Amino acid sequence: MGNKNKRPIFLNLLRIRLPVTGVVSILHRVSGVLLVLLLPPALLLLDRSLADPDAFEACRRLMSTLPAKVLWFVALWLFVQHFLNGIRHLLLDLDICIDRKCARRSAWLALAGSVLAVVAFGILR
Amino acid sequence: MNIPGARSSSQSGFIEWLLQRLTSVYVAGFAVYVAIVLLVCPPVDFEAWRGWFGSGFVRLGWALFVVLLLIHAWIGMRSVFMDYLHPLWLRLSVLVLTATGLLALGFWAAAILLRVAP
Repeated sequence: MGNKNKRPIFLNLLRIRLPVTGVVSILHRVSGVLLVLLLPPALLLLDRSLADPDAFEACRRLMSTLPAKVLWFVALWLFVQHFLNGIRHLLLDLDICIDRKCARRSAWLALAGSVLAVVAFGILR
Repeated sequence: MNIPGARSSSQSGFIEWLLQRLTSVYVAGFAVYVAIVLLVCPPVDFEAWRGWFGSGFVRLGWALFVVLLLIHAWIGMRSVFMDYLHPLWLRLSVLVLTATGLLALGFWAAAILLRVAP
């Protein structure tokens, strides 16, 4: 675990300009951690919605409030982002779209796709 | 030090790497299935919601989903902590806390799944 070789470490986040592939890579981690943190409230919602008709209606009312809706859309974006970039990683593991040009394009595609999915859901529902 | 069953350095982490990918395939596939069900025929009331959730194969699908999702979450959190938490005591405490939390979520989910049995 110890850092044996003395390579320079340059981690000033304000001075690093990441390429889009790097952005989606860190976003994959951040969204993953945040999704784990969203598991307890999600499970609580599932628990209550399956308890009895009154609790189900309470859940429905809660989900129609503005803060719950905002949180829901954030969670949806996090999930779709993690989902699309996950597929991208699986393809990269299979040596598909491994060259820089294609990897960059697919990174943009994952980003755009996640935003598009949230917008589409907002319109469709 | 010779630890029985220990993997050589070239193999260390391989099982986690593979499990992360295998679990992701099921979790992603089941998520798409649930999304389609909820979009195409959203449960109108409690009876419909519980009826769908309680049916055999759906419940089995959820049970598998929970187990594989928790494995996926564990490996993901583990690699994040291994990258950013360097003092051993801190890394170990956070890992133990995470494992306990995920395990608790698993038992909670199991209780829900058993309760909705028809």
